[in-house]
Amino acid sequence: MIWTLEPHQQVLAFVLRVLLFASLRDRAGWEERSIAFSEAGMTAAQVWDQLELGPLESVCVAVNQELVRADQPLRAGDELAFLPPFTGG
Amino acid sequence: MNWPFFHPSPVVEIGRDESIQVQIRPDAFSAFHALEGWSGAAAASAVFLGRVRPQTLDGEPLQALELQHYPGFCERQLLQLAREQLQHHGAMRALVVHRVGTLLPGELIVLVAVEADRRGCAQRCCSDLLEALKHQAPFWKREWCSDQGTWLSGNTPL
Repeated sequence: MIWTLEPHQQVLAFVLRVLLFASLRDRAGWEERSIAFSEAGMTAAQVWDQLELGPLESVCVAVNQELVRADQPLRAGDELAFLPPFTGG
Repeated sequence: MNWPFFHPSPVVEIGRDESIQVQIRPDAFSAFHALEGWSGAAAASAVFLGRVRPQTLDGEPLQALELQHYPGFCERQLLQLAREQLQHHGAMRALVVHRVGTLLPGELIVLVAVEADRRGCAQRCCSDLLEALKHQAPFWKREWCSDQGTWLSGNTPL
């Protein structure tokens, strides 16, 4: 289970910082959220499932600003970003 | 202009070393001035300039194009892509300037320039760096038409 914390409850060692971009922001209605890190071995895919934003298949995952597999275990304090397909240039 | 989604931010410039320069710009820029401040004495230079089309992908008149990026990660990714392409092609220097924020039709979105000793590797490196940027750098475009914004789901064809 994950919980969203109020700002005064944010303690870096026990939270994940979750970032959304572009269409994912619109879908979720938020850009950034701190989520309690409650389980050792929690993965990005598990966090994604609990956000209820649809299938993960076309979404890239970045942890601490590095692209990673969605099944990579997370650590408390990580910055976890979900990235829709890139369309720059 | 007072678009509700326009949040100006400072120019971010990193990688200003001998070989690679990357800039993320929230404001319009001049290709001439960017190149003038960067060009070296290499025998061959290749440049790509990308501008905002006047129509949406559906052919409707475009009001504006919004460009979002992932600050920090985006700049580092551009540096890494430029390093890889310079090394792969044996080219010497690269400049990448990319807009974010709100752009109007005709404005420059991106400038990619490469210097090398030969035209072939300069041109190939410039082309490959642009394609790498399009597919591997965290930028996202949203087209605005009739006050409605639509996030693009993919790149335009080559």
